[in-house]
Amino acid sequence: MTTIRIGAAPEAYEGRGLYLDGLFAQPRKAELRIDEARRALAILMPGTDAVYWPLTEIRKLPDQSEQDMAVMRLAKDPLARLILTTAEDQEIMRVRATELHRRPPVEGKRRLVVWGASALGAVALMIFVLIPFLADNLAGLLPASGKRALGEAVFEDVRVALDRTGVDPLPLCEGPEGLAALQKMGTRLFPDQSEEETLVVHVLDHEMVNAFALPGGIIVFMRGLLEKTETPEELAAVYAHEVGHVRALDPSRIALRTTGSAGVLGLLLGDFAGGAAVLFATNRLIQADYTQEAEAAADAFAHQAMLDADLAPEALATLFERLREEYGEPEGVVQYFLSHPSLGDRIEAALAATPSDATFQPLLDGAEWDALRGICGE
Amino acid sequence: MGLYRFWARTRLRRWYWSALRPGGFPLEYTGTPLEKLLGFLVAVVILAFYIGVINLVLIFLSFSLLSAPGAAYLLTILGVIPLWFFAAYRAQRYLLARTRWMGLRFGLEPGAWGYALRACFHWFVTLLTLGLWHPRLRYALARYRHNRTFFGTQRMEQGGKRTMLYPAFVHVMIGGFLTLGAIYETAPELGPFFAALESEDFSKFEATSPTWRLFYIAIPWLIFGLVYYGVEGRKLLINTLSVGETGFDIRPRVGKVLWISISGNLARYGAVTVLAMVASLLLIAGALTQGLTMEEVSEGDPETLFRAVTQDLPGWLSTAVVVVFYFLIFLMWNVLTHVFLTMPTWRHYSETLNLTGTLHLAAVGQRPRDESREAGGFAEALDVGAAI
Repeated sequence: MTTIRIGAAPEAYEGRGLYLDGLFAQPRKAELRIDEARRALAILMPGTDAVYWPLTEIRKLPDQSEQDMAVMRLAKDPLARLILTTAEDQEIMRVRATELHRRPPVEGKRRLVVWGASALGAVALMIFVLIPFLADNLAGLLPASGKRALGEAVFEDVRVALDRTGVDPLPLCEGPEGLAALQKMGTRLFPDQSEEETLVVHVLDHEMVNAFALPGGIIVFMRGLLEKTETPEELAAVYAHEVGHVRALDPSRIALRTTGSAGVLGLLLGDFAGGAAVLFATNRLIQADYTQEAEAAADAFAHQAMLDADLAPEALATLFERLREEYGEPEGVVQYFLSHPSLGDRIEAALAATPSDATFQPLLDGAEWDALRGICGE
Repeated sequence: MGLYRFWARTRLRRWYWSALRPGGFPLEYTGTPLEKLLGFLVAVVILAFYIGVINLVLIFLSFSLLSAPGAAYLLTILGVIPLWFFAAYRAQRYLLARTRWMGLRFGLEPGAWGYALRACFHWFVTLLTLGLWHPRLRYALARYRHNRTFFGTQRMEQGGKRTMLYPAFVHVMIGGFLTLGAIYETAPELGPFFAALESEDFSKFEATSPTWRLFYIAIPWLIFGLVYYGVEGRKLLINTLSVGETGFDIRPRVGKVLWISISGNLARYGAVTVLAMVASLLLIAGALTQGLTMEEVSEGDPETLFRAVTQDLPGWLSTAVVVVFYFLIFLMWNVLTHVFLTMPTWRHYSETLNLTGTLHLAAVGQRPRDESREAGGFAEALDVGAAI
């Protein structure tokens, strides 16, 4: 109801409330008036001086559960409260106190920026400097059994992460004749494996064109790669390349780095997406984002291993060339092989490593190669 | 990045606090989102070093000395446990420092490391005694916290005896004993049972031992026992608590809380199931319009269907759809938990709470502000599960 009065003063407001001075746990019944001259709410209590709250300074507490009660405060006074229990009193406040819902000014913006930057800096320092440094040094100290155990643990995580449902591990391909062919390939490439550094080779039933090495000499091929290779020698070249990484301890470094980084990232992401850090960690392991030097070294190792086994290193070049023709720019399922811009260099290096006058011995016969490519069954 | 959680939590707390009105006066929550964000950032700076190095070194040690991944995970968790209790106490301190009633602040004295030490000790004994020590643990930790809690200038005091929670624990013991007995009796058949569960093929599995039926009694009894222990234990603790001359009288009903947790869980699981069903229907409809036959649709797994539906869309868009769906489920789950579980439980406790001897409160004075700069940041970073 709006009443327009001319001349006389507006009808005097007489309300009630409970006043808490914020000094003692003693609510006091108060009479409420509006003092037009002071433009303030007068809070009158027997036995004490009246308290005046300027109308524009009155704020209402936000996000209260029920509307039967409203709690008022003064913008600059952190302690005193006025509780209004009737709808009329609340309505008068709503009309007269114009800034009821104004938010308090933001304090300490600068501190926030400083700490925000420090937090990012600390995480970056950990992830990019301290953890890699520690991981690189610790990787060399891990005994063979420790590396194998680490590799096996990571392998389980990778299998679960790659599975569509994310619950069961991705199945292994274990066609017996295919495994025998793989075994033959391994023995040919690396005839003298010491007892504790035996290579373990798995094939995962996944369409990704990829192969990766894990700590402790665990080499993993994906079905997609078997389908894309055309000769046993091409696969053998990839095999030797991965062993190159193992010998250089690259996978152990990455695995240690990742476990350290995952914990730190988990901190930042909080409870909102704890799984994201784990996903990121496994992803890094599969992608095995090694440096160009590490790749080149693993390639050089592979060239030598191939030559030692009477196999042509240029098989690596033919595989890379075909993949490059087929997929063009690095992307999608072939990220592993094409993740480095220097693919052309790698092809040339493989060709250069192949002596023109050398003769080579075939690796597998037709039946064995078919068995290997069909290791995943139908 | 989920940064809004600091704002969401602040608003939720204001709302919950205002819904609690002991003696007719609402609680007030005065924490701010920005101080939480700041505290979180401070905690990240400190913890980044601790967690990163500890994780790495422990993993290294467990693999080089024990060659066992299980030990590694166990050790990393062990390294964080004391910190976890520390964070929980600090979070409680922040919470109380930002809670007011009748205009006065609550407060918690410093003592987080002492709390962590005691918590570690009692949990260790609890593990050794297969949980039988838990009532002692619960009382000891509650007493430690409550005796350091202030309302204004008035210190709280936890009365009662160290062993007083055992009556509340009795149904957990019975249920636990029955469960252990059932496991013992059926032990030879448990292996095949879990194998069948894993392969989802129960055709070969046959329960011959008559004691399988014991599980039908033992498990519900254990669940009931846990709820009973939660409710009755809280009742005993609160009713022996005093703030000067003021005491508490709370009478929560176990049946009511049990009903809230059963119906609440049904509601949230039901809602998520409905959401998943709607999503799969949309997926199937989409796949059909993309020209897949009914047969292909019924045989295809969700991922193939999703690929088929989104094949014409750019990659980032289909990723965005998945992310949005994930967060939709996540958010819905959170909201439903508040609506059907947390709020009803809180309401029940608050409705059955009465204060006695409140006249004496008038003499209680205000306490100075506790800056508590870290503002629960450690708990946030370590994901110490607070209800709200």
